[in-house]
Amino acid sequence: MSKRVMVVDDSRLVRVQLEDVLKGTDYQIAAYCRSGEDAIKQYAEVNPDLVTMDIIMQGMDGLDAAEIILKDHPDARIVMVSSLAYGDTFDRAKAIGAKGFVDKPFHQEQLLKVFEQALL
Amino acid sequence: MNTVITKERLEQILDQALQDVTERTAGVRLNQGDQPPGEDLCTVHITFDKGFSTSLTLCADTSLLSRMARNSFHEEELEPEDLEEFTKEYFNVLCGKIAGAMFQATRVPAHFSPPTFYHGRYEPEGQEVQFVLTYSDEHREGAQLIHHVPRSNADGAGSDQA
Repeated sequence: MSKRVMVVDDSRLVRVQLEDVLKGTDYQIAAYCRSGEDAIKQYAEVNPDLVTMDIIMQGMDGLDAAEIILKDHPDARIVMVSSLAYGDTFDRAKAIGAKGFVDKPFHQEQLLKVFEQALL
Repeated sequence: MNTVITKERLEQILDQALQDVTERTAGVRLNQGDQPPGEDLCTVHITFDKGFSTSLTLCADTSLLSRMARNSFHEEELEPEDLEEFTKEYFNVLCGKIAGAMFQATRVPAHFSPPTFYHGRYEPEGQEVQFVLTYSDEHREGAQLIHHVPRSNADGAGSDQA
């Protein structure tokens, strides 16, 4: 059975790329959220297997949104999507319980590997 | 810890990032050459506001950016706002990639401002050009990636901590 992914990103380009990269894989996109606030609202209803969360978005950033989701749903599996996977950003994401990092633009192989590890 | 980056190394980082991101994002292969953009062009600009006091500008033929946008969005026709939306998102990804590579080289975390988009050419105030990388694709459409530094600092590409 395919795994359901909730994509949280305000970039149309990233959403299209994710669709392309996940086509024909065991993952299907179950929902799109354009902001961290939207992701918090929708998480329980969508109940995804995995969340991809952009870090820099208009309004609440992805790290804050991930922290709130994980507080309410400790089993949530959240992968941060950003090129800024270093320094304080990386440390904070690890500390709040993010399951991994994926770089933009996506490499299918890297993305699927991170997804697989996040779901272990 | 190395907190300085040479101009040559920076040029290499920018070149690799631009070629990689453009091909993977828009399916367009850009090669360095001497064909600058024509008169119908657009500019997108960001400032590195933490770590590196520099800015990056991409000037490209409108037709090249439009083709890249159509490829990326899988659309035959673009809405008026699509060109700006694509260009800013593409440049955001490109600059993220560059910031990541600069961190690998210097251990200095570089943050940057949201991209701003202009029809025509834009030159940032209070800055001067340090170097220009010129590209064209198989259709002879051109783009230039321009690295600006604060005036009177054109010799070194280093970081704030250099």
